[in-house]
Amino acid sequence: MRIQLALFASLTQYLPETENGNRLSAHAQLVDLPDGMTVGQVIDRLGLPDEPRIVFVNNRHAPDEYVLDEGERLAVFPPVAGG
Amino acid sequence: MPVPHTHPVPAAEEYRDLRAKLGHKRIGIVGCGGLGSNAAWMLVRSGIGSLVLADHDLVEESNLDRQFFFRDQIGLPKTEALATNLTRIDPAVRLELFQAHIDEQNFAEIFSGIDLLIEAVDSAHDKAMLVAVSSELLPGVPIVSASGLAGYGSTNDIITRHLMGNLWMVGDLVSEVSAEHPLFASRVCVAAGHEAHMAIRILLGYPEA
Repeated sequence: MRIQLALFASLTQYLPETENGNRLSAHAQLVDLPDGMTVGQVIDRLGLPDEPRIVFVNNRHAPDEYVLDEGERLAVFPPVAGG
Repeated sequence: MPVPHTHPVPAAEEYRDLRAKLGHKRIGIVGCGGLGSNAAWMLVRSGIGSLVLADHDLVEESNLDRQFFFRDQIGLPKTEALATNLTRIDPAVRLELFQAHIDEQNFAEIFSGIDLLIEAVDSAHDKAMLVAVSSELLPGVPIVSASGLAGYGSTNDIITRHLMGNLWMVGDLVSEVSAEHPLFASRVCVAAGHEAHMAIRILLGYPEA
């Protein structure tokens, strides 16, 4: 399956190497993944650090167990402390 | 000698209409520290009619360098002290106070029916948890959050982004609070101003960051 992957702020460096045609913006690109992968499995595969993160699929929060489907958009943002 | 106006001044009637619209809005604020206490007074001065304020902490002396409290309020619950100060600005503002740590167990009960949520907590874990919980339990309610406002970096690096879905994010995204990067009132208030103003824009129908 092919999904859109957006990794923000310090996570942008974890975007996989890709051809230019798959790059959507500075922090987003198209990626090909095995069918049936969950959000948690994609995060493990990318090697994202074990830190707090905001995870949305198709513009709404999704838990690690969420099974991704063709064409969906997975976005991950790492908040930092301070308030 | 009078100084000529260089900007068009909105007609009094238009200004009244905008404030009347905001007067019917109810905003939830999680966290009444540097971000939340300062965003709250900006919203009250702007005419927001109702605020739901939640924080489990008491006012401490160390808060006075950036939070909207005063020395004689040390030891009071932050929600109570903030309510006193906001009511001095506008006695008619409607305030609902919850001295509690907000989590998935009590979120919906406290914040159901709000028009918009401002995330104003300190820890990264709580920021992520609140965005997730609000998105799940109050789908469609806009969330204005903040990340990256510590230290002495330029305030020009603090911007508002429409990040994804119903989530707007304020900050430089990377400046985490630490011993080397403490919280300065000036930079925290810039972020609080961004949060308050994005909330106002969304509620007036201008969701572009």
